[in-house]
Amino acid sequence: MIALKFTVNQQDIEITVPDSMRLLDILREELNLTGTKEGCGIGECGACTVIMDGAAVNSCLILAEQCQGSRVETVENLEKDKILSQLQEAFLENGAVQCGFCTPGMLMSAKALLAQNPHPSLEEIKTALEGNLCRCTGYVPIIESVQKAAEKLGKDAK
Amino acid sequence: MKKVRKFDAVPKLNGSYKFLDDYTRPNLLYGGFLYAKFHHGKLKQIKFPKKFSKDEFTIVSYKDILGENIVPEPENDQPFLVEQEVMHYGQIILGIAHPNKKKLKQFIDNIEVEYEEMPAITDIEECLSDENNVFGRVLEIKHPAEIGNTSHLIHTKRIYRTPHQEQAYLETQAMLAEYDKEKKEIFVLGTMQCPFFVKSALDAIFGDTIHNSVVETSEGIGGGFGGKEDFPNIIAGITALLAYKSGRPVKTVLDREDDIQITTKRHPSRVEVESYTDPITHKIRKLNIDYRLDAGAFQTLSPVVLSRGVLHASSGYAVEDCYIKGRLFRSNTPSNGAFRGFGAPQALFAIESHIDNVAAQLGIDPYTLRKKNILKIGKEFPTSQPIIENHLEDCLEKVIEISDYHEKYREYKQWNLEHKVKKGIGLSLGLHGGGYTGNGEKILNSKIKLVIEKNADINIYVANTDMGQGAHTTLAQMVDEAIEHPHNKTRVVIPNTNKAPNSGPTVASRTIYIVGNMLRNLIKEVKKELGFDNLETYVKAHQADFPREFRSLFKPDPQAIFDDETYKGVAYKDYSWAACVVEITYDPTTYEINLEKCWNVLDIGETVNPEIARGQVEGGVVQALGWGLSEFFYKKGFGRKQGFTDYTMLTSRDIPELNIEFIHTDNPIPKGLGEIPMDYPAPALRNAFLNATGVGIDEIPLTPEKIFANLEEK
Ligand code: FES
Ligand code: FES
Repeated sequence: MIALKFTVNQQDIEITVPDSMRLLDILREELNLTGTKEGCGIGECGACTVIMDGAAVNSCLILAEQCQGSRVETVENLEKDKILSQLQEAFLENGAVQCGFCTPGMLMSAKALLAQNPHPSLEEIKTALEGNLCRCTGYVPIIESVQKAAEKLGKDAK
Repeated sequence: MKKVRKFDAVPKLNGSYKFLDDYTRPNLLYGGFLYAKFHHGKLKQIKFPKKFSKDEFTIVSYKDILGENIVPEPENDQPFLVEQEVMHYGQIILGIAHPNKKKLKQFIDNIEVEYEEMPAITDIEECLSDENNVFGRVLEIKHPAEIGNTSHLIHTKRIYRTPHQEQAYLETQAMLAEYDKEKKEIFVLGTMQCPFFVKSALDAIFGDTIHNSVVETSEGIGGGFGGKEDFPNIIAGITALLAYKSGRPVKTVLDREDDIQITTKRHPSRVEVESYTDPITHKIRKLNIDYRLDAGAFQTLSPVVLSRGVLHASSGYAVEDCYIKGRLFRSNTPSNGAFRGFGAPQALFAIESHIDNVAAQLGIDPYTLRKKNILKIGKEFPTSQPIIENHLEDCLEKVIEISDYHEKYREYKQWNLEHKVKKGIGLSLGLHGGGYTGNGEKILNSKIKLVIEKNADINIYVANTDMGQGAHTTLAQMVDEAIEHPHNKTRVVIPNTNKAPNSGPTVASRTIYIVGNMLRNLIKEVKKELGFDNLETYVKAHQADFPREFRSLFKPDPQAIFDDETYKGVAYKDYSWAACVVEITYDPTTYEINLEKCWNVLDIGETVNPEIARGQVEGGVVQALGWGLSEFFYKKGFGRKQGFTDYTMLTSRDIPELNIEFIHTDNPIPKGLGEIPMDYPAPALRNAFLNATGVGIDEIPLTPEKIFANLEEK
């Protein structure tokens, strides 16, 4: 067992979990944050993407001890986060949600990109989303949504 | 035709929408399966690992089945659980449950299965080329004509092959089952397309031991594509059996690896096409098609896939003398099942590739050959069903125009002479019959229900599920628009077999086309019957009458008659039509194809919700291009695919620029939409490669390995 101290969506978390527990399970099972999904469990689909210390990571590959002292952000943080809520707006506006299973992961990858690179090129967007599989949308409206959200954020910043 | 948002988009975007694994229950057990890791053999012994105490686990075998060990299917030949003989890799032997997920997995991983190996067919080619290996009914469509001497005609005979395709819905298959001892009732919650199929599976596996079974879908269904049409029956049946035996709720969520190994896939195909074409008029005079599918170890619903396959095998072409034969072949691989397109993508890959092969042989461009032979008014399908519109030709003309096909066709010829990296442009036609084949809808006899509540909300009760395709939004929209009711006041209630009447399965592009039309007609009748202009005002004035329920039944068209014995008549009342152009670049140093652009023109009739319709086309086209370019499930010498590590789907980096247009949207009927985008793109891609290189490869996917091997051969 390991005693962990870290933050999730700006909230301090203190929790003792088995060493082998994955961040994905800590979120879903211990903290009841089920917005983060499991699509493969081996780091290949991106459905479990969360942001850890500013970077998009596959939470199915992060073990408990790696969470120690970190700052984790999940899709549930949407309302409190400007970039995320702008992305949500754009996804809604552009029909980028079909079954929705890939959506939380897509949002987190896109948010990590826009936080680091507010004016990404089309190629940069495609690359940032490359690790997130979507079987429903063909990616087209998702990519468009990220472009639109970036534009909107750019305008608001001026 | 207004922009109406998907009602479920916001909860999906903030993570609050519940998928099956997001549900839990007090006292929950996790369910899992022990399945065969060999292809064919007799079970001798199952050895449980000593380091676990077996009593902690609930275990069910075929002996625990209280009703019948047969999954209800169009062809009832598949057991829920193995009895003595394992017929395919991945066949489920035991259901096992335990309160701890990790422990359950370790236990199952350490079980040893002893067996006596038997000969197995696991190679697609071996399966499909052995004529002794046929099972089930042989289908034939005969459209004979006396065309006289064929010696002056151009004879073309080729064999086309397509592989398995994995559905790869992002949410794996999952079920939660509970048993109520008092009521003797099984309740199953799950991710599925067909709640009433699952209900009949529960009734079969339990027989008279239970009084009732109730099936409901989870809020979110993380993709289906056909993969959640019939396989959920097995998962639900075994999970429910575990709940019954343990007396506790049981949740089974398949790991991705297990899901890929044991669930249904798209049928591999081998289609032989033989044609005789007039070198002067460019008319195809005679066509023989031998359409074969690898059904897997059991037939299950494959006869229905075969039926749709043969009915789409001649694509959009009218040929005087036409003969089509369809057969299922047996192998020791998991039963193949429903997958978007349902036999049509395999059929269209063959014929649409063949057209380009013939054009190349004649030395004419592929557009001209298509144009000369295209279906139009006055022509008929091989079943003798008359063609009543020229919309396919309109799709062809439009796609040629918007893609600037002729110009590029010329330009790329020159370009390819001068450049190392080649450019190619390819064309294909597509068609898809909406709803069940032939008399299927008549037999299904769908029922629907509406309830108008005291506050004038309309609740729609149907069994059709929203697995992401937006069906529930579109259905509600159809009802609202028919009576100009505000959009936020109508919704589809989560399908539950106790509440909704059986409006049939969520398959065959039938949800909007059949069920949507029924709902629209019903609400119009209600409006007429009650005589209101504005429903809200009416309900306010007649509070005592509400809530009030309205029901209706499917009314078949008496003109649409199909003879299932002779395969003559109206196979599908309404066809959707499409034409497609794909542009690629090809790098001969890496043998890699790059998808550049894909133009799609479709006639799906009315587009109720244009944004949702576009989404269906985008998703279907990318799925189809992946099938053509990189996806394959397994092949001799490669072994089976294990998961997303080695099953390569297109990612955001691989997709082409998509262009989509709908024509003839003034049709009052929204025709089938979900499947057609999967049917036609793969041959357009293949034809683009032929155009770029002069080499026609008659098999997909066009991986660098396959291209290399084909070029070596030439
Ligand atoms: S679940 Fe983590 S990458 Fe797929
Ligand atoms: S919306 Fe279904 S996987 Fe992306």
